[in-house]
Amino acid sequence: MNKPYWGLWGLLLTALIFFVVLSFWQDGIRIGSFELKTASFASDLGAPMKHHKVVKNTKADADGKSAEEQQAKDWRAPLDTTAKSILFIGDSMLEGLAPRLAKYCDKNGHTLVEVIWYSSSTKVWGESGRLAELIAKYKPNYIFICLGANELYVTDIKRARRHYVKKILAEVGDIPYVWIGPPNWDEDTGINDLIEQEVDEGCFYLSAHDQFERSRDGAHPTRTSAHLWMDRVVKWLGEKGAHPIRLGYPGEGTSRASHIVIYQPPK
Amino acid sequence: MILDSIDITQMLSLFAFNRDEPMLFTSGLFWILFLLFLPVYAFLKSRRKKMMLFVIAFSLYFFYKSSGIFFLLLVATSIFDWWVAQFIESSKNRTERRIALTVSLLFSLGILLYFKYGNFFMFNIEELIGGNFQPMDLIMPVGISFYTFRTISYVVDVYRGKIQPVDDYLDHLFFLSYFPCLVAGPIVRSCDFNPQVQANKPATREMIYGGLFLVMLGILKKAVFADYIAQYNNIAFGNPTGYTGFELLMAVLGFTMQIYCDFSGYSDMAIGLSSIMGYDLGINFNYPYRSLNVTEFWHRWHISLSTWLRDYVYIPLGGNRKGKVRQHFNLMVTMLLGGLWHGAAWTFVVWGAGHGIALCIHKLCKPWLDTIASTRFTRFVSWLLTFSFVAFLWIFFRANTFQAAGHIITNIVTDFEWAYVRVFLARRSTWCIMLAIIFGLHFVPVQIWNRLRERFIAAPWWLKLVIFIVLIQLVLQFASATVQPFLYSQF
Repeated sequence: MNKPYWGLWGLLLTALIFFVVLSFWQDGIRIGSFELKTASFASDLGAPMKHHKVVKNTKADADGKSAEEQQAKDWRAPLDTTAKSILFIGDSMLEGLAPRLAKYCDKNGHTLVEVIWYSSSTKVWGESGRLAELIAKYKPNYIFICLGANELYVTDIKRARRHYVKKILAEVGDIPYVWIGPPNWDEDTGINDLIEQEVDEGCFYLSAHDQFERSRDGAHPTRTSAHLWMDRVVKWLGEKGAHPIRLGYPGEGTSRASHIVIYQPPK
Repeated sequence: MILDSIDITQMLSLFAFNRDEPMLFTSGLFWILFLLFLPVYAFLKSRRKKMMLFVIAFSLYFFYKSSGIFFLLLVATSIFDWWVAQFIESSKNRTERRIALTVSLLFSLGILLYFKYGNFFMFNIEELIGGNFQPMDLIMPVGISFYTFRTISYVVDVYRGKIQPVDDYLDHLFFLSYFPCLVAGPIVRSCDFNPQVQANKPATREMIYGGLFLVMLGILKKAVFADYIAQYNNIAFGNPTGYTGFELLMAVLGFTMQIYCDFSGYSDMAIGLSSIMGYDLGINFNYPYRSLNVTEFWHRWHISLSTWLRDYVYIPLGGNRKGKVRQHFNLMVTMLLGGLWHGAAWTFVVWGAGHGIALCIHKLCKPWLDTIASTRFTRFVSWLLTFSFVAFLWIFFRANTFQAAGHIITNIVTDFEWAYVRVFLARRSTWCIMLAIIFGLHFVPVQIWNRLRERFIAAPWWLKLVIFIVLIQLVLQFASATVQPFLYSQF
């Protein structure tokens, strides 16, 4: 091997070692307010990759039920008929969804706090720690999240956002929750896959394949379409959600949440 | 402890075919493999045959990783065309030679048409005659358009007597499967490439570190600039009704720069890697947005494709040898095919047609244009017109449908909304700065780039390492940076 090749090889190898070592700081390295991002080598190699989902076993058990059915039985909580204090957080999609959920809450004796953070994303919520503050303040015992619409096209999203999705879920903690996926108007780069991978079984409503009538901006569903969207989420929650609560049909129309908090777009 | 956490099965799965994750020069996996490849290649470089076998094996794996079992298509094409070229050379009968050439073209183009245009043709036939068409679930082998054009040029050049066919099949397989230009070109010709392989000169320090410089430039263009500004362009082009004219105009300018950085960046990486290996692939993009007219643009944009289309479509059709009307017809056919080559959709055909019409108009007006004095002002006007026209046509290239393209053009003209300018600049300042940087870098004199390259080659090893690490860190920083999708100025 001639000398320049040795030099180039040494250069590439040194750089690789440097980035592989740094990659074990999977959350990045903070230097003051600056975050030094790290590569994904460590997670690609299998270093702590948390998957909430249980690996499904197709083998049938003794009483003839498949393991899948058994598992479904295990992770689905029974219908909780008690009155809930619900916190609904997310991006601008809440404008259409929350008033409809408020109507359900009125009818079924729940209270609803709605927090819209315009232009927000999993990154914005994950970095801010605001969800933990809201939980401490309003003490909800059920949480709805609608995030992801502002991240449909983020490149390398699974690497870039996994940490923030995990952070949001960590802030949710043991409180039962439902994450409503974004209403895709175009194919995403992986945000739905990412959320689905990270949330617990029965806690993610995939909206990407639903049909929507869009408002003038072509992205947000019209109010009527958003109400139907919320109806579908509620129906799904009752049939397939991990933590079903009493959400009897309230008839058409909307209502107002007990408390509404609005945050301006992040800078 | 670190080793304990390594999952061998997961690690091995990274090396298997995954249609969602083709191996690109910007992926970490490629660089890990290249790190393993390089010392073996350097060791075998002087042993031509062994080196070729090794590079072929690496190239075929590279192709397998992105296209799965379809890497065998490339092997089949190489065997068939190598044999056809031998036959053409040995046959004295003109009809036989013609038949052999035709069969070879049908074979190569047939595969390309099936994989790339099968669904497109079926869909259009269905639109015409009705029916219940279900799209075929086809995996398009990565880079099929590029290697098909390379093999066609080889057989046609042998038929024309421009080159001798290679005696050894390995030479042809090496040429066709050569991994640096497998995925996105350049469409290197056998007549330029094979003599270098035959000579097998050792790679000099200038070639190796000059190649690294080009690779780094390509990474900067592709993984930092193009991928970052693409985020906003994707959002706006994906949902044009949601954006004002000004926002859409910025998306059009953004895409104009994105496609240049994307395409030329990948070309730079390919040319740089090849230079590291000791083979010169020429240049593929020569500052195209400096062009003062559309003809010049096509002399500077994707040079290996435009010269291929000239030599294997335009000239065989008659070029400019059969009168003005025929020349314009030939130009239109060439550009329409060029448009379709970029993608199986009518929007690409319109893009090609737009360029074809512009080329015809430029040719018609050239005698008059030549009489205009070349001043700074006239050059600026020429540049502005050319740039605006090229950017305008990119709308059709990028838009998913004609309806979306129509929305973009209509909104730019009728719903400009000056009020959004300030908000846009404030909320998407990084995006705007990056666009300005790309634009500025495009006009940096060639001499300065050359000087930078020379200085990089001459720089001490540790400085090269630092520059390389800084660049990769830049890629990581921007990979997770996002552009704000909506401006909520109304709230």
